[in-house]
Amino acid sequence: MTTALPQAAPLLAVDGLRKTYGLPGGGRLTAADGITFTVPAGGSLGIVGESGSGKTTVARMLVGLVRPDAGSISVSGRPRAPRTPRGREARLARAREIQMVFQDPYVSLDPRLTARQCLTTALRLHGRATTVADGLLDQVGLGAREAEARPHGLSGGQRQRLAIARALAVDPKVLVLDEAVAALDVSIQAQILQLLSEIRRDTGVALVFVSHDLAVVHHITDEVLVMRRGTVVEQGPTAEVLAGPQDPYTRLLLASVPRAGWDPADAVTARAATA
Amino acid sequence: MSAPTLDRVGPKTGKDRRPAGVMIADGTLVVVVLAALLAPLLAPYAPDAIDLSASLVGTGPEHLLGTDSSGQDLLSRVLYGARTSLVAPILLLAIAAVLGVTLGTLAAWRGGWVDTVVSRLTDVMYAFPGLLFTVLIIAVFGAGMTTSVLALGLAYTPTVAKYTRSVALSERRKPYIDAYGVQGMGGARICARYLVPNLGRSIIGYLVVLFGEALMSLATLSYLGFGAQPPSSDWGLMVQEGQAAVVQGALLPALVPGFAIALVVVSFNVVGVWAADRLGSRR
Repeated sequence: MTTALPQAAPLLAVDGLRKTYGLPGGGRLTAADGITFTVPAGGSLGIVGESGSGKTTVARMLVGLVRPDAGSISVSGRPRAPRTPRGREARLARAREIQMVFQDPYVSLDPRLTARQCLTTALRLHGRATTVADGLLDQVGLGAREAEARPHGLSGGQRQRLAIARALAVDPKVLVLDEAVAALDVSIQAQILQLLSEIRRDTGVALVFVSHDLAVVHHITDEVLVMRRGTVVEQGPTAEVLAGPQDPYTRLLLASVPRAGWDPADAVTARAATA
Repeated sequence: MSAPTLDRVGPKTGKDRRPAGVMIADGTLVVVVLAALLAPLLAPYAPDAIDLSASLVGTGPEHLLGTDSSGQDLLSRVLYGARTSLVAPILLLAIAAVLGVTLGTLAAWRGGWVDTVVSRLTDVMYAFPGLLFTVLIIAVFGAGMTTSVLALGLAYTPTVAKYTRSVALSERRKPYIDAYGVQGMGGARICARYLVPNLGRSIIGYLVVLFGEALMSLATLSYLGFGAQPPSSDWGLMVQEGQAAVVQGALLPALVPGFAIALVVVSFNVVGVWAADRLGSRR
């Protein structure tokens, strides 16, 4: 589904992002290096790779939860400061650039707040009318009963809907989803993906979709970036990359997707080819 | 009742069913609190009514629990004593909670040098016996219940700070706290409005466990003459006053308040450990 997007100025531009962590032995682990990409307004980028490939680190750097060692992130041409700014207004303005939906909806929601309180907290913080909460709940398909429920009274899919609504409450330009459907059942995954497509269509928010699941990425993204051991091994329009992978690692990821007539031995052979 | 006090392993024990021992402890505490509240109604005499003609009278219809060497009714004194003995530890723990939770949260949230400073300070305080620290402060500011409560409040602060720091550290790693930061909320607000309230249950459970210890510490200070002063009917002070009577063969003046202390301390520990245990298993 590569609809040829017009050459718009990039909404999100990431250039040469790098993060290393010190290891107990004294060495350094490169979690991410040389990460460069752009996402146009309303665009959708997938970041794929297996566990430990550095995709979550990239997601956390985008929202400022991890401070990059090098590189820059800018939204609408304005560079984001590597540290969270001190002033309230600057902090809120920064939050309105990029929001995030976390991987595990069982721990990403405050257990003490009802769904409505969760949204009104974010709305009030950003000076928006708390009546917007109803619209947001409706937008993500949560009803009146769910609105008054605390997270432990919601199913996994409902919690993730709420987490998406909370991110939208800030009215961000970019939404980063870190394995946002990985913790959910397959049928619920499909609903959430459908919801995200609708939200993207209706609000024009750009998506950065971090996932290990190629089928999911194929469904929801225009461009894809394949990461391995902290570096980008392949990058391009999703359909092209998935149809004709150039890098052996991308081939491995594709060979590892279970499907009709699938033989795990193919994946093992493909892994040997990447070594 | 064959079930041991803290045994909750039995499969038939429902989620909210308390073991028998805990129910007994709960009941005891309710009775003690009621006794303290209703002391003026229940007590047959004023707690400081001296009747030298009835010195060291044993149990009887006039004095259900007997009298001390000044002829003061022990039942009345122990009932009124429940007031100071329960309120003082609450005040003390309130001081320790406000300071300790603030310091512990600050250390966990800021990390780095703030954490180092707070952790070292609490370690130094730890190495110093709390009672000794308290006696030192009392030596400077003079004896009395107010000084004792303030001093012990300070002495208990590091314990609370250390506990808060550990639970706050694990809580702040949860993504919902990250989410508040990503929303653009400031650290102070996240801590005060969302992080600490989510620690509330654990911290209160911990304070309940500390309550028995705090009551003991205060009673000890009063017993040593640093805390409550006569004619107060504080239990620790009563034990001390009753001590002389033991030599004369009258055990009740020391035993009655001693038993009251033991009863409350054990009850609080049973309830506190049970609550902490339940919280622990839920995490």
